[in-house]
Amino acid sequence: MAPSRAPDIAATPAGFLDPAEVAMTAQFLKQGYVIQPAADRLALDRIRDHLAATTARYLGESVPSDSGDFLNRLHEKVSGEALNDLRLAVIQDINAQAWLRPAYFAVARNTIETLIGNELAMQRRINLSIQMPHDDKSLLPVHADVWSGDSAFEAVLWVPFVDVFATKSMFIAAPETNAEMQARFKAFGDQSAEDLYRDIAGQLTFLDIPYGHVLLFNQNLMHGNRVNTESETRWTMNCRFKSVLSPYADKKLGEFFEPITLRAMTRIGMDHELPTGFEE
Amino acid sequence: MSNAKGYIGYNGARPMITGRAPQHIQNLVIRDYCRKRTLAFKLSASEYAMPHCYMMLDKLLDEIASHDGIVMYSMFMLPSRRQRRRDIYTRILAAGASLHAAVEDLSLSCGQDVERWEDILSVHTLTLNNHLPAALQRKHRDGPG
Repeated sequence: MAPSRAPDIAATPAGFLDPAEVAMTAQFLKQGYVIQPAADRLALDRIRDHLAATTARYLGESVPSDSGDFLNRLHEKVSGEALNDLRLAVIQDINAQAWLRPAYFAVARNTIETLIGNELAMQRRINLSIQMPHDDKSLLPVHADVWSGDSAFEAVLWVPFVDVFATKSMFIAAPETNAEMQARFKAFGDQSAEDLYRDIAGQLTFLDIPYGHVLLFNQNLMHGNRVNTESETRWTMNCRFKSVLSPYADKKLGEFFEPITLRAMTRIGMDHELPTGFEE
Repeated sequence: MSNAKGYIGYNGARPMITGRAPQHIQNLVIRDYCRKRTLAFKLSASEYAMPHCYMMLDKLLDEIASHDGIVMYSMFMLPSRRQRRRDIYTRILAAGASLHAAVEDLSLSCGQDVERWEDILSVHTLTLNNHLPAALQRKHRDGPG
């Protein structure tokens, strides 16, 4: 099977997107992701401070004055065995905050609207990942979300709350690598995800993202993480966005996604009914 | 002794737009929802299998004063006609009760919740109808449920 043809910015009629949108779209199509400064830095800081304060309370400590340093050094306070209980407590707490999802959207609103659209469905619960140095229990083997029930129309907003780099970050396959692997994917039918990773390891990119920046990536591309062999703990959140009227897969509207930015004409159209009562 | 009247479950035998689940699985999901939200669960009522029939739901609405609320297996068990849904919300809220959808982990206890539920249900209908021929779209939209 030949690799499928990659989408091209040239397919968009000229003159409708502004130059900044064209540049971002071309970059996203070419490399499968964009890394941008947070559009709302206060919102980003609010989320990070809340993560740190909740974690400190869970550990019986006072609220830290330097949230970034506190999060980076979590492994000095928590064992690998205790990590998951802490993660669940923090994720429960932060998802109960009504301001979280609007704030999370605000950190990348312009990027999301450029690459996905301005009528959006957003994942209802935002995921939290904590990866301490040398912890092998919090790994995501190489995968594409679309392989396990996500719609091909979804993108992931991945937000680091500490600087991430090398194995403290995530890796992603370029669209060409992904297409080439997809064309021979069947050959891995009796092998493991680790075999798949080894086959493409040399072609994967670990993303360097300083705190204050956000990543929006195409989850149709293979991605994942490895054991964090750096000296600091990784803290990231991730959440899926899609155009609200694009097709859904196993992650359904209601139980997984929720409309967040329905526009006036869509509301009008949804309510509209033609006059009835005519007979043939 | 608690003054709680408790929450009545609501499951069904008809396939839903989102798929079919056996009734004992629906009850497990309803019970788990109540456990997580510390809602006092009473027995479940099962809707009749005839298409577009909501007689059991109507019965629960008639006796809503004796419940704190209704916990449906899924919000997609609600009637497809919007006005019929709104009538249900109105009756529940007027009684000071609440409506819950276990699969979706959503509750409805105020007017703002009504709009949230309606956004989800309306967009779902819209995405479904986008793939149907016009005649079937009309049938799905209008009637008789």
